[in-house]
Amino acid sequence: MFKFFNNSNVFIWIEKIIKFINSIFFVLLLTALSFALILSPPDYLQGDSVRIMYVHVPAAWIGLASFTCIALLSILNFIFKIKNFTLITKSIAPIGLMFTCIAIVTGSIWGQPTWGTFWVWDARITSMVILSLFYIVFIVTHKLVSDNEKANKISSLVAAVGLINIPIIKFSVDWWATLHQPASIKISGSSTIHTSMLVPLLLMFFVLILYCALIFLMKYKTEIIRIKKKNLNRL
Amino acid sequence: MINNLIFMNGYGIYVWTSFAITFLTCSIVYYKTRKTLQKYEKEFVKELEELSSEQKKTVLENSKIASKVLSSYNKMY
Repeated sequence: MFKFFNNSNVFIWIEKIIKFINSIFFVLLLTALSFALILSPPDYLQGDSVRIMYVHVPAAWIGLASFTCIALLSILNFIFKIKNFTLITKSIAPIGLMFTCIAIVTGSIWGQPTWGTFWVWDARITSMVILSLFYIVFIVTHKLVSDNEKANKISSLVAAVGLINIPIIKFSVDWWATLHQPASIKISGSSTIHTSMLVPLLLMFFVLILYCALIFLMKYKTEIIRIKKKNLNRL
Repeated sequence: MINNLIFMNGYGIYVWTSFAITFLTCSIVYYKTRKTLQKYEKEFVKELEELSSEQKKTVLENSKIASKVLSSYNKMY
């Protein structure tokens, strides 16, 4: 079982998965965009501005999920010292930061027609900005600290502290009086979003997840080659 | 229909800007990630070629990754 997860096998699988994603990606993207921009109906209150949701919400979900993943893997890595976890967290972090920034920017654009302003220091928005800062510190730590072990320790600590911010983001709309609307999609309990909007939302989410997988695998592959290159230099 | 798709009852500027920012950022990150990967592959192959034939043979026999990178690089270029 563990033999299967060695870098050689992982590397071969990465190449196969990248080829597979590349082959289906554009068809899925076009389908998702057709649903999001043409086929889905406008909202009865927000009109067509609701279409921003199809990039804003998946981006925010990916930003949150990526950091949770980084934090949990960093904690496990801190305890069990599994090398691959460092490679995984380093590869996920830039993707998570990018989607967190996209969520903030598209949310801000959505705010103008909906709230009448691009920016307010609302609890949800502020906590998302804090999340992006945690991402930046995590990435910068790996760039600036040359000693790998020290960098891992610092970044694990940053990720563990940042994990506290995740439930704050999730429940900020319930705990404080915010301009941001409460969640329409609930894992437990009934969602308040209509199927005609839920389908494009989930399609866009799926497409962006595929994109994340593609970038993650390319970054992971780069990290493996970088390590192999270092080994070559030792010969 | 086309007008409706472009202007979206006055919300077009917000919707299209949001989608454009998202897909432009994604494209730039994809391009940069691919470039970095290709750069590392190229450097790896270059260093592999600089080894003596004995060393190169040993590396290729012992490392599936090295032989895979070399073969895919040769296919591409």
